[in-house]
Amino acid sequence: MSASKADAVVATPTQPPRNQAPSGARRATKPPRKPSGIVKSVTPYLLVAPAILGIAFLLFYPVVRNVMLSFQHYRFKQLISRSADYVGWENYQEILKDSEFWEVTRRTFYFTAVNVVAVMLISTVCALMLMKLGKTMRILVLVGLVAAWATPVIAATTIFKWLFRSDNGVVNWALVKLGFDYEGYTWFGHAGSTLTVVTLLIVWQSIPFATLTLYAGLTTVSTDVYESARLDGAGPVRIFRSITFPILRPIFALVASLEVIWIFKSFAQIWAIAGENGPINEVRTLPVYAYQQGMSAKLFDMAGAISTITVVILAVMLVFYFRQMFKQEREADK
Amino acid sequence: MKARTLKRIPLNIAALLVFAVSIFPVYWMILTAFKPAKDIQSATPKFWPSSISFDNFDTATSEPHFWDYWRNSLLVAGVGVLLALVVACFAAFAVARMQWKGRAPFILMVFIAQMAPWEALMIPMYLIARDNDLLDSLPMLTAIYFVMTLPFSIVTLRGFLGGIPIELEEAARVDGCSRFTAFRKIVFPLLAPGLLSTSLFGFITAWNEFAFANALLLNKPEQRTLPTWLNSFSNGITIDWGAIMAASTLFMLPVLAIFLVLQGKVTGGLTSGAVKG
Amino acid sequence: MKRRLLVAAGVAAALTGVAACGSDSSDDKKDNKPAASNAPAAGNGKTVRVWLMKGSAPDDYIAALKAKFEADHPGAKLDVQIQQWNGIGQKITGALASNDAPDVVEAGNTQIAQYGASGGLKDLSSKVTELGGKDWLTGLSDPGKVDGKTYGIPFYAANRVVIYNKDLFAKANVQPPKTRAEWLDITKRLNTGDQQGIYLPGQNWYFYSGLLKDEGADIATKSGSAWKANLDGAPAAAASAFYKELQALGKAAKDGDEKTQPEVLAADGGKIAQFIAVPGEAETIIKSNPALKDKFGFFPIPGKDASKAGAALTGGSDLMVPEASKNQDLAYDVIKLINSDEWQTKLAQATKQLPNKTTLSSAVTADPGGAAMMEGAKNGFATPNSPNWASVEDNNPIKAYLTKVMTGTDAVAAGKEANASIEKTLNTKN
Repeated sequence: MSASKADAVVATPTQPPRNQAPSGARRATKPPRKPSGIVKSVTPYLLVAPAILGIAFLLFYPVVRNVMLSFQHYRFKQLISRSADYVGWENYQEILKDSEFWEVTRRTFYFTAVNVVAVMLISTVCALMLMKLGKTMRILVLVGLVAAWATPVIAATTIFKWLFRSDNGVVNWALVKLGFDYEGYTWFGHAGSTLTVVTLLIVWQSIPFATLTLYAGLTTVSTDVYESARLDGAGPVRIFRSITFPILRPIFALVASLEVIWIFKSFAQIWAIAGENGPINEVRTLPVYAYQQGMSAKLFDMAGAISTITVVILAVMLVFYFRQMFKQEREADK
Repeated sequence: MKARTLKRIPLNIAALLVFAVSIFPVYWMILTAFKPAKDIQSATPKFWPSSISFDNFDTATSEPHFWDYWRNSLLVAGVGVLLALVVACFAAFAVARMQWKGRAPFILMVFIAQMAPWEALMIPMYLIARDNDLLDSLPMLTAIYFVMTLPFSIVTLRGFLGGIPIELEEAARVDGCSRFTAFRKIVFPLLAPGLLSTSLFGFITAWNEFAFANALLLNKPEQRTLPTWLNSFSNGITIDWGAIMAASTLFMLPVLAIFLVLQGKVTGGLTSGAVKG
Repeated sequence: MKRRLLVAAGVAAALTGVAACGSDSSDDKKDNKPAASNAPAAGNGKTVRVWLMKGSAPDDYIAALKAKFEADHPGAKLDVQIQQWNGIGQKITGALASNDAPDVVEAGNTQIAQYGASGGLKDLSSKVTELGGKDWLTGLSDPGKVDGKTYGIPFYAANRVVIYNKDLFAKANVQPPKTRAEWLDITKRLNTGDQQGIYLPGQNWYFYSGLLKDEGADIATKSGSAWKANLDGAPAAAASAFYKELQALGKAAKDGDEKTQPEVLAADGGKIAQFIAVPGEAETIIKSNPALKDKFGFFPIPGKDASKAGAALTGGSDLMVPEASKNQDLAYDVIKLINSDEWQTKLAQATKQLPNKTTLSSAVTADPGGAAMMEGAKNGFATPNSPNWASVEDNNPIKAYLTKVMTGTDAVAAGKEANASIEKTLNTKN
């Protein structure tokens, strides 16, 4: 069990369970026909070189420039004049002193937690449901999910804003029909209800990916395993606990960590739903805050500092995941 | 048999509910696109148009440079994602199949790369583009979409590769195949579905991107991409909702088309683990 | 092997595609430029790039302008590019900081100060006299100035008026009102059955700031070096109380702004008695619902008493020349042409907007919408003249403030929140 767990944590979507194969087999990389030592040792580096170069030039370099901005006094004037002074930690001090920043940070955490939990719960249920469905229904659900996934962000946000309109929105209309007192309810008049709409939108957009990936993980278990478990007299709860869950866990961990990253970083949805008509200053999260400082107020230095802090927070949040991953990797290397 | 059908009723109802919730906003978008202007803002929602109108599509497609936008978007998103896929494929192979020093840090780097705060990176990216005379350059935009989709592609492809039992490859090599022949003959066919579903995800990301396209393509109207067009149906005092919905409907067609073409393969790809060791 | 080759071939093809695209577009340019290549070398084949906003000028106006400019400047070419409103701030910022900026850029009058303060615009103060600046609408020329230097040349203006349905007014036997009290009174009478007295979305902050001005307060005032916002005072409360009372006499959303208004009015088919908009909007509505032709009348927003119309926030655009423009002289010539009486009159007549000079008002006063707008413009004012005002508008806290007041929050409490946000933005050092 512990060996398969080790294997599992390294896994990513669609990692099949290696129930039958001995778990050491995968690492038996001693090839039957050995290439020469130099070729063997150089090959992996050659293979990752393009990726490293791409990330270094197109991602790492801009990030470094961004960090440099955060240590300069770099605003609209400096953008034009193309010269700026270094000011040390001044921008960071200003941000960390600002109570607004802490409020936004706190909100970002709550917001991420609520969304990730909702997405993971619903996706798991949907994935399990897909396993049980007949072919027609399964295709129907898949079509729905893919349609939601393929909807362009701008269209999705426009539609959601529209569905929740207070004067002639579908949601208020339906709620009134169902007997609730939602006549003319102003969804974008309050922080709480605006965040509810944003959450619904993000959950709606995130579920297809999470569900499909979890579902893919589930389908890797052959039906034989369930059959034999059932023949052995295991009930559904036990089957879930001892077969389904262990299989799902690594994929679940991966999807959850990706969702944490994506939702923590989500910007377009909040901006589009609340930016124009909503109480944006009461619902903004860190990326929105950085954008407001950078793109609206043109305080590029502050935006640089806020986004740097955001990445650091994210990295710290996921350090647990990395640690575990590395532990497994190290074990695997042994 | 009957008992089984009965047992399935609640499940099927739940499935229908999921279907309805996921499809409704999309339905509403397409419906609105076909509604005549009068129906769009009606005081009570209309779930079926009183008559089908193509006015919104006319408005949407009569924007200047419409076809240039399509060509640019297909080119920029397509090439960016294709490059990411090729590069990710190499890297994923190295990570999933080989032992080397620096493997763990590499994985860490790829994971951290996913956290890139793209909204904030617009400023440094703009500065880099400006200083290297790469403003108004579609290749620059392509390169950005390449690196935007690369980390995710590596992570998922590594997963897909991990899902293909190494025993298959080894068996082929025992039979005398070289490592590359084994990869090509055994692994690649199994990986193809994974490649396709990864590319779909990357394509959606690149296809939708507006902020960089807006800030980096300044001076040549014929060089803009489709998201710019999607954002063009407002003139400061009014917004043409019907046209936005018609444009969005057209805009998501390629993604749906790709999915439909790949449908069997993508779900196949997601179930690649079916190959059991 | 086939498959891998295929991938490789695909990448190669795609890459050449990019290259081909690059050369394609330059080919396009050549094709589009027969005039330049055939023309005498006088203009040195220079192309003057002008950015206009979508909806600012009709196509035939632009074509005529282009023909005129190119005739006056043999060899030069005028390339007018229409820009979209979404994301325009970033785009102009990017253009001003680039090596190859457009030569003339249109921007909303409230946006100019930030660009002027950045150092990215050419100082046009020395041209003001030549351009007849003494007659410019102050609502356009004042926001175009930073520290007394002129960066924005007025392009066109518009302010909001009340547009009403003449049939419904006749049926209810009411006349356009002269005072706020009368206005409330007739709107109440018009608001019966499925008929709406007024369609007024809760977030029309342009209208609100006019009400506030009539109460004797500005959104924000500068005392010394610091800005102070005024949304928590008695004038703000009085203005929002009036807004709320009026807003309740119709069914418009309390949490929406005026952008959905034209479509709502077109779909409504004559059940809405009044709405607040720039006069040009009437035509947009008639275009999508021709049945409403000739139904609309106009009156200026009523003041507190009958002596003068309500104050109106001047909206509109200015033209600017980026420092990074490579053709600043030709750019100025374009502005000079657009600023001329002839081309200003043409534009105003085509778009039903106000020309940039008070002396040209006759161009629009023949039109009932234009006349009503001119009444309001006499009492026109501008937003706080701060380079940071543009970023206040980006996520305008006044909108959230209005929605809160409309839905029952205490005006002073809501005003304090909005004040804090506005002051923080305005007092940020650049």
